[in-house]
Amino acid sequence: MAVLRVLSRHGDSRVEWDADAVAQGDAEAMAAVQEAERIFATERSRGSVAFRIFHGRPAQRMDTFDPSADDVVIVPRVAGG
Amino acid sequence: MPGFTFDLAVVIVIALAGAMLFLPQFIASRIEAGRRAKAEWSNAQLRADMLLEELLTTSEYQQLNERRYLEVVSPSNPERAYRLPRAPGRVAVFERGVHIENLCVQPVDQVPEGDIILTHKLMIEGSEQEYLRLAVHFEPRPRVPMRRDNVVSWSVWHD
Repeated sequence: MAVLRVLSRHGDSRVEWDADAVAQGDAEAMAAVQEAERIFATERSRGSVAFRIFHGRPAQRMDTFDPSADDVVIVPRVAGG
Repeated sequence: MPGFTFDLAVVIVIALAGAMLFLPQFIASRIEAGRRAKAEWSNAQLRADMLLEELLTTSEYQQLNERRYLEVVSPSNPERAYRLPRAPGRVAVFERGVHIENLCVQPVDQVPEGDIILTHKLMIEGSEQEYLRLAVHFEPRPRVPMRRDNVVSWSVWHD
């Protein structure tokens, strides 16, 4: 299962989808990907930053949504304090 | 005039009765709201810590809990390391083991402590230059030892 996580004051919220089911055109999986893409766009417009996670390796910044990414984490915008 | 005094007394009695009736309910609802908010925040902290455990390697998570900081090596300069504190605070930057500066940078939204650490780590790994540009940079003063076994830094702390 692929997952998109958004960090917020409630902890992380998640949208999950089955990449294989998406490839087979499964309606439910497609809807989940569309929801993930919508959340990605909304959060990016707020200034949040998305990263593709590779376990045991450094994360990679993601500026456009990629449904083939297994693990994506969106963090809030940061500012100097 | 006596009629006015009577009216005023009636109004005061009604107001007091109303206050006695509704004030305890109001206070109870505020206490309940506070208790709920505290429980939600505690749950968020727990979720954030579980996410950290899931996304960090075993040794990273162990370091964070034992040393109270997580060290992230700069992707652009292998001799530079960022020490992210377990508790909220400034990020210490080390080069070749020498404490060169502190960074003050934080998420603009309120997130649990575990998510703050994760935000720092991901920003450093995936967007280091932007992270450094946004951070406020401070001289490492007072020069408090960050690692007492770090002999190289010891000379700097006492110069």
